Amino acid sequence: MTSPPDDLAFLSAAALARLVQAREVSPVDLVELYLGRIERLDPRLCAFITVCADDARRVAREAEQAFALGGAAGPLHGLPFAVKDQFHAKGLRTTAGSRIHDETPADDDATVVARLKAAGAILLGKLSLSEFALGGTVSFPFGQPRNPWHPDHHPGGSSGGSGIATAAALAAFTLGEDTGGSIRGPASHCGVVGLRATWGLISRHGAWCASWSMDVAGPLTRTVEDAALVLGVLAGHDAKDRLTSRRPVPPYRAALTGDVNGLRVGLVRELTHVEATDPEVRGAVLEAAGVLTKLGAVVEEISLPILDVSGAAFMAICDSEAASAHQAWLRSRPADYDQATRRRLYTASLLPSALYHQAMRARARIRQEIMAALGGHDVLLSATQAAAAPPIASEALPVTSKPDAARRFFGHRAHTTPYSLAGVPAISVPCGFSSAGLPIGLQLAGRAFDESTVLRAAHAYEQATAWHTRRPPLATG
Amino acid sequence: MADLTGVDVEAMGRALGLGIAADDLVEVTHRLNAFIEALAPLAELAPDGPEALPAPVDPDRAS
Repeated sequence: MTSPPDDLAFLSAAALARLVQAREVSPVDLVELYLGRIERLDPRLCAFITVCADDARRVAREAEQAFALGGAAGPLHGLPFAVKDQFHAKGLRTTAGSRIHDETPADDDATVVARLKAAGAILLGKLSLSEFALGGTVSFPFGQPRNPWHPDHHPGGSSGGSGIATAAALAAFTLGEDTGGSIRGPASHCGVVGLRATWGLISRHGAWCASWSMDVAGPLTRTVEDAALVLGVLAGHDAKDRLTSRRPVPPYRAALTGDVNGLRVGLVRELTHVEATDPEVRGAVLEAAGVLTKLGAVVEEISLPILDVSGAAFMAICDSEAASAHQAWLRSRPADYDQATRRRLYTASLLPSALYHQAMRARARIRQEIMAALGGHDVLLSATQAAAAPPIASEALPVTSKPDAARRFFGHRAHTTPYSLAGVPAISVPCGFSSAGLPIGLQLAGRAFDESTVLRAAHAYEQATAWHTRRPPLATG
Repeated sequence: MADLTGVDVEAMGRALGLGIAADDLVEVTHRLNAFIEALAPLAELAPDGPEALPAPVDPDRAS
C-alpha cells in the first residue's frame, strides 16, 4: 500500500480513528506518514528529543495484524502520538529537557502513556520541553524548538515540542503537562487546542514533577473533539497516584452538541482588558465573545481584581516546590543546568518560607473567588496569553535590574495561572492571528470536574470559526 | 524595605550550601528583590480569608 498524502497527516485524530476503523488507512501507513514528516521537518522545528521509529513500526505492524484477526480495537487504535519528555515511556530515557538526565531507559510507562497505548495509540517519540518543565530556558540541550508559524518565534513552554508537533502534524496528537500554563501557552502560540484538566482528574504517576500541587497532564490536539477523545482515555482514578479523583469519567465527546444556547459566559476583565494584553489579542478575544453571543450564549463582563496577584502567588508556590526538588543537584551539578533555570531555582531557594505561606493563602482566596464567579457563570472567557509568540532572542537577554526582573518574571504569566491555582479545567482554542501571522488563543475555564461544559463551549466556538483549519508554513515544506 | 545586596544573597546561598557563582549573583539578586516586592501585596490581603489547604485534593468542595 502506498503512503497516504500529507493532507492525511493534518486530519483530526477522531477522523483518523474513523479511517482506521473503516480499514481505509492502516496503522503502518500512519506511522510511516508521521515518521516521514518528522524526518523531513523536525531538523528545523526541533520538536522531538527522541524518536523511537523502530518500536513504532513494530507496534504498528502488530496493531495491523491484531486488527486483521478481529482483535479488539481501542478508541485510539493505530493513532501515532508523541509525549512530552517529562513522562516515562518504557525502554526510553526521560531527559526532562535537561543535561542532568539519566540515559537509563525507563522500566515502565507513566500511567498516561500506558493508558494511551492500551487504547491503541502508537508512541512515535518524546518531545522537547523547557528544562524540567519550568519555562524560560535559554539554551536547549537537544536543540532550540521553533514555532512552525515563524521559525524565529518561541513555540511557548514548557510543552513546546507538544505544541509544535501537533501544529505541524508530526503526530495525530500529543501529550503535554500544564503547571501554570504549560499546555495552554504552547497551544495558544502554535495555534492548536490544549486542555488542562481539573487537578486530580489525570494520573501523574511516572511523570517528572515540576510543582506537585499544580501539575496536570493533558492533550494538545488539532480539534476540540480530539481533546475530548484523548481526555476520555487519560482521565480517571489511578491506584499509583493517590491524589487522583475516584469520580466516574463522563462521556466527554457526547457533550459536544454544538449547543451553547443560554450558556452563561463571564468575560474576565483582568485577563482581557488589562494594559498587559496586546490590542490584537484583546480584539480577537472580544470577537470570539461575539461569536459565542451569536450562538446563543449570554456573555457578560465580570471583574476578578484578586487575579492581579495571581502571577506572583503562582511563582512563589511553583518555584518553591520546584526548588525543593532540586537542592541536591543545585549543590552538586550547578553548571549542568541551563543558566536561566539555575538562576530561577537559586532565587526560589532563597525565598522566605513566610512568603510561600502567604502565597498559599492568596491561592485559597483566588480559588474561592474563581469558584464564586463560576457559581454564576458556566465558563469564564479570556485571552490565553497576553500576546502572540515572542521572538526567541528576546528571552535570552540578561536581567539588568530589579524592574527588569519584575517585568519579565512576575507579570506575563497571569493569564493562565489563576486556573492553575484554582485547580479548575481550562482550555485554549485558536481564535485568530496577529498581523505578523502568529496564532492567538482563547481561554475557557470551568468548574472543577466539569470538563464537559468547557469542551462543549470550546467546540461550539471552534465549529463556528475556521481558525483551526489553517496550517503553519513550516509544516508544509 | 531595603533591597538585598549581592553580598546578602551570596551569604544566604552559602547558608543553604549553594555556591552561587559571581556570574549568577547579580541576576539572582535582581530576581530575588523583584520576587519579594511582587509578593508584598499578598500580605495586605484580608487576614480572615480562607486558610491555605495542604493540597487542593478536591477543588470542587474547596472554598
